[in-house]
Amino acid sequence: MSETSLNSKGAVISAKPNTKEAIIGILEKAMDKGVFDAVLIPMRVPAGDSFVYVLIKDKSLLKDAVPLSPVMSVQGAHAVSSVTRLGKGNMKIAAVMRSCETRAAIELSKLSQINLENMILISIDCPGVLSMSDFIGDPKKGMKLFDDAAEKWDDKPMRPVCQICDKASMVAGDLHIGTLGAKKDTFFIISNSQKGNDVMDELDIALKDSIDSWQAKVKTLSEEKQKKRKNALKDLKSEIGGLDNLLDTFSQCINCHNCMSVCPICYCRLCYFDSDKVKHPSEDYLQRAESKGSIRFLPDTTLFQMGRMMHMSLSCVSCGACEDACPMSIPVAQIFSMIADETQGSFDYVSGRDPNESLPLIAYKEEELHEVEDSND
Amino acid sequence: MERKIGVYICECGPNIAEKVDIDKVIDAVSSIDGVAVAEKYKLLCSADGKKFLEEQIKKQGLTHLVISACSPKDHEKTFMEVCENAGINPYLFQLANIREQCAWITDDKDEATKKAIRLTKAAVRRVRYHASLEKKEIESNPDVLVIGGGIAGIEASLQLTSPDRKVYLVEKAPSLGGLITNFEKTYPSMKPGSDSIKQKIQDVDKNKNIKVFTDSGVEEVLGFFGNFEVKVKNVTEEDETVEFNVGAVVLATGSTLFDPEKTPQYGYKKFDNVLTSLEFEKMNISGKISLKNGESPKSAAIIHCVGRDEKGYCSEICCMYSLKFVRYLMDKIPDVNVSNFYSDLCIPGKSHQKFYEQTKGKNVGFVRSSDVEVTKKGDKLGIQYKDENGSKNSISVDMVILAPAVEPTPDAPQLAEITNISQGDGGFFAEEHEKLGPVSTSTEGVYITGCAQGPKDIPSTIIQAEAASGKILSSLVPGRKIEPEVKTSHISESLCIGCKLCLSVCSYGAITFDEAKKISVVNEVICRGCGNCVAACPSGAASIKHFTFNQLYQELVEAVQ
Repeated sequence: MSETSLNSKGAVISAKPNTKEAIIGILEKAMDKGVFDAVLIPMRVPAGDSFVYVLIKDKSLLKDAVPLSPVMSVQGAHAVSSVTRLGKGNMKIAAVMRSCETRAAIELSKLSQINLENMILISIDCPGVLSMSDFIGDPKKGMKLFDDAAEKWDDKPMRPVCQICDKASMVAGDLHIGTLGAKKDTFFIISNSQKGNDVMDELDIALKDSIDSWQAKVKTLSEEKQKKRKNALKDLKSEIGGLDNLLDTFSQCINCHNCMSVCPICYCRLCYFDSDKVKHPSEDYLQRAESKGSIRFLPDTTLFQMGRMMHMSLSCVSCGACEDACPMSIPVAQIFSMIADETQGSFDYVSGRDPNESLPLIAYKEEELHEVEDSND
Repeated sequence: MERKIGVYICECGPNIAEKVDIDKVIDAVSSIDGVAVAEKYKLLCSADGKKFLEEQIKKQGLTHLVISACSPKDHEKTFMEVCENAGINPYLFQLANIREQCAWITDDKDEATKKAIRLTKAAVRRVRYHASLEKKEIESNPDVLVIGGGIAGIEASLQLTSPDRKVYLVEKAPSLGGLITNFEKTYPSMKPGSDSIKQKIQDVDKNKNIKVFTDSGVEEVLGFFGNFEVKVKNVTEEDETVEFNVGAVVLATGSTLFDPEKTPQYGYKKFDNVLTSLEFEKMNISGKISLKNGESPKSAAIIHCVGRDEKGYCSEICCMYSLKFVRYLMDKIPDVNVSNFYSDLCIPGKSHQKFYEQTKGKNVGFVRSSDVEVTKKGDKLGIQYKDENGSKNSISVDMVILAPAVEPTPDAPQLAEITNISQGDGGFFAEEHEKLGPVSTSTEGVYITGCAQGPKDIPSTIIQAEAASGKILSSLVPGRKIEPEVKTSHISESLCIGCKLCLSVCSYGAITFDEAKKISVVNEVICRGCGNCVAACPSGAASIKHFTFNQLYQELVEAVQ
């Protein structure tokens, strides 16, 4: 991706007959004109009870796409990684995703798990998503619940981690679709890179309209969310803070590693905690039982959570996929999101904010982390 | 195979025996499964001690050896040799440090004994998981590439050349000699500068084993210690590129001067008769010190430390050559008045003080000053300055000579990249260790000498050229194979996810990326086993031999239990 620069102007687009169809109309036009060759976008599965990402090459199929799906059954960055992990390919692909998915894609590009060269990342103002368990019980009801809530920008039915997301409109990819602050029956398209500008150019859409009202609305909303986030994380911290509380929280973990499988950032071929390195001879377990009185099985559940946290919290985008996947309803996403705030904050880093910002652990800066230096030194 | 572990505790004279209850340590480990023998000995590193160990290994049929004694820095190698001599693989051995880490850190014998037991148990547990590692040998090329044909490069070439070792000397200028060829005389002997270099250049020219490339630059250096592939390009004849192989590289690219135009207060290029030290040297070698109008100056000021604040270091040689300039002036212009403006006078060494005492005199002043400024004052140049007490003064002179800071050559960044070394303070090539490894670099087989490493005078430059040559002569012997590091890193093909983080943290350029398989690959010949890639690898694919996860884990389990 070329260097990012959020344009101060955007394009106001007519949302007729509705925003969804207007977005799809633009995507169709772009495929027509060869601006991109394929679109990666969520679509409802035939059974109707879930959504997956689909790589659409036949533009007539676009009409069934759902740019804003009510659930996140597949994290978009996972899909992009599947498509481009082995190289960029010769097709230009537009990926329509939520902001957190776009940011995860950018993180993965820094880890060579995604090649963004022929990708155009398009994000959308995100009202949040419903939790999988809420939706799957009655998809029809869920669909209506989501549509109504999205319309009113009401986050109460959304997942807890979405309720405290202050980056729902963060622009990190190439283009962004802004629905906030738009006049009736319109939405904004905002470009964030040269690639984005080029796409708009080829589509003959001029980026000359003011986006002030979008920016103002995003600002108010994210300030509200920040306040909410602060309080919620404070409560969470008092619930899970300290070793005893932490052990209690993760004691419910059944070691299924679903959280890891759905996490876009967890990309190891074989998780350390699934490897032979954590399988010990029985004497070891007996020895551990002897020194502590007893040990639980399966072992190392808290260790797994802590290890995963250590490995990925610097790149965590708080997308909530892990919590959705947890059969034990452990608030994993909220916990990880809280930790990510702290770890990323200590490096002035925001995961996926900027493709040119290097990962903090491989970037050496002389002026950082003085607070953890040995004061006697 | 059944393990028979031998545990030997060294008394280290009274060092360990007085502070640790060794019998208790023996008690604690002798019942451990697999421990065939646990004994103490007075001084295991002594000739008798080594003989004792060798006999024990053979007599008891030991398969693994644990020694509780001193720091591995002291005697790990000693005991590994014992293992080799006794016929067991030297990596089936573990040394527990119960001297520095137990005996020497407390007066409490109980505590020291407890910890010694822990460390010894940890070593016993660890050694079970050790694997035999085999030394590798690879063919090496004894030839050497020397970059830079100044005094440093010439000296290194002459030291290195022999009938069975070819030296390729590459110089970017049309002729050899470097900066020295500009010097009329050298301090403190005040003998002609050409004396020290002419003969050496002739020796180089006559030597059939030194191939000189003038007007040439090094384009590419690929490979590793013992096996570098080099491309040299001649800059006058287009596209003429020569390729050859060498085993080591010496960077002797010298220095250049800080541009005094960056410190406009000294009037350089603004006023006539303001010269840099190099311009003044060239004037002297041409025979006459004269002003722009052809007359001899009656007075001159030498301004030291030009650019010192900007660069942030003292250039070491300027004070000495400034004294030499005073001599030039006095020798050529009998009644000349010379004023030196310095911020700190730096004249270390056994003969320089005498030279200074003999140089200063009634017509030669030394003023410790700050805020020096050169202005035009009629036909003359005015010098305003603050003296040591902070009061403002000024004088007028006919000529001003500036002593600018010594800088690395402009192509240093490019050469650092080509040879895979880093630049340190001031942009000079970074040595491996400022005290313990002043001519080696982070890339094995690449050495730095002379002003390329930092400002220095001719004797220090010669010393470094000889040091680098010594390093090469002792490690790259014609006909002898080289032994690369054994404890190298390995990246598992099935676990590597191709994120390339390891490539960015490897200081030795030992990791490459296999684009077809999308995985990182370690070149075990270049790898020095620092472990950076293991720490950086997020997917557990990188591991380092002899420090595997399991070995460390097993040791820790016992140590922290």
